[in-house]
Amino acid sequence: MKFARLRSWISCAVLAAITGPALAHHSFAMFDFAKTVTITGTVKEFQWTNPHVVLWVNADGAAGEAPVQWSLELTSPGNLTRGGWDRKVLNAGDRVSVDLNPLRNGNHGGALVNVKNETTGKSYSTNLRAYEKPGLQ
Amino acid sequence: MKLTRLLALSFAFVASVAAAADTGTNPAPRPRDWAAIARLPDWSGVWTPFVSDQDARIQRDPTPWREEVAPQIAAMVAEERAGRPRGLFIDCLPEGMPAWMLITHNAFEVLFTPGRVTLLGEMDGNRIRRIYTDGRGHPPDPDPTFHGHSIGHWEGGTLVVDTIGILPQSWLAVSEAVGLPNNGDMHIVERIHLDGPDRLVDDLEITAPRVLAATWKTSRIYFRQRARKYDIVEGVCLQGGMSSRQDEFGNWIYVPIPQEDGNPLPPK
Repeated sequence: MKFARLRSWISCAVLAAITGPALAHHSFAMFDFAKTVTITGTVKEFQWTNPHVVLWVNADGAAGEAPVQWSLELTSPGNLTRGGWDRKVLNAGDRVSVDLNPLRNGNHGGALVNVKNETTGKSYSTNLRAYEKPGLQ
Repeated sequence: MKLTRLLALSFAFVASVAAAADTGTNPAPRPRDWAAIARLPDWSGVWTPFVSDQDARIQRDPTPWREEVAPQIAAMVAEERAGRPRGLFIDCLPEGMPAWMLITHNAFEVLFTPGRVTLLGEMDGNRIRRIYTDGRGHPPDPDPTFHGHSIGHWEGGTLVVDTIGILPQSWLAVSEAVGLPNNGDMHIVERIHLDGPDRLVDDLEITAPRVLAATWKTSRIYFRQRARKYDIVEGVCLQGGMSSRQDEFGNWIYVPIPQEDGNPLPPK
């Protein structure tokens, strides 16, 4: 249901493909932070590396359709660790529900906002602004 | 008597600093050099940047770009706002100076040792700034580097840092997608100090005559963290373009991640 809405949004989006070198350390302005969409699916791979952690999800397709692979970017392992993440919180095969700010170009990618690991029942957020005070625990 | 002794000690201190500066060698630290560190302000812990304030200061402390380069900046701002940012750091070279202090989203720590203050940060290969506080001057013509040559001295609780010798390619960045190479002859003066028990402030004065019409004054704020989950971790930028795989012999190796339209794809 949610995914169907998303596909509808994508069909309206301007498809301006980004080309170029590896985006190992890029600006996050490629993502539309005014929009949040939700996908559900299965974790294909969770890559815990600097400077941006990447989560690949095979998102559930509409009835009778194949899953669609999404590439979701997060901040750095150091920043995520401070938010309670570690490299094992998501594993291949886990069922997840992901809130994301989608790529402006309509491709199946986005900046991860929140993820709920349905397999473990735990949720994680990527909000760097939550760290903007001293003495955090 | 006391005054005479104080003057003598002061003279000896200045002389020893001058000697360190002039001899071209780094003397072994003495017990009193280590003891002097205990009198410096406490900058221990890990410092996380006030990212929202970085963004706000783009408006509050506008960069005085030279008239002839301003159209380049305007074009970058327009592209960023349209969702087509041209990332300045996609090659994973160091953010360098002054970009590290201006736009980082990552934590750093500060180490005091005799004659030196060292900033260690995450990202782009575990970034580092060495600030010499032993009284030396700048070399007459230092080899340009991303972080430049920095000398510092203490004025009360404020570390005053003077940096030259920065590569012309080093970005004068106001965001990860807006900025210009400084193009040479940049000079940065920083006054780094606590303005509360757990807030570190860097007041920067950036003179970059090739791209700025006037010295740019701005500040950045960092928050102290002591919980161990904030400890600095390794941050190798190039690792993000790689994926871990095993070769035909079973060795663990990194291979570049395939890209499609600029987005990383998972290996098959």
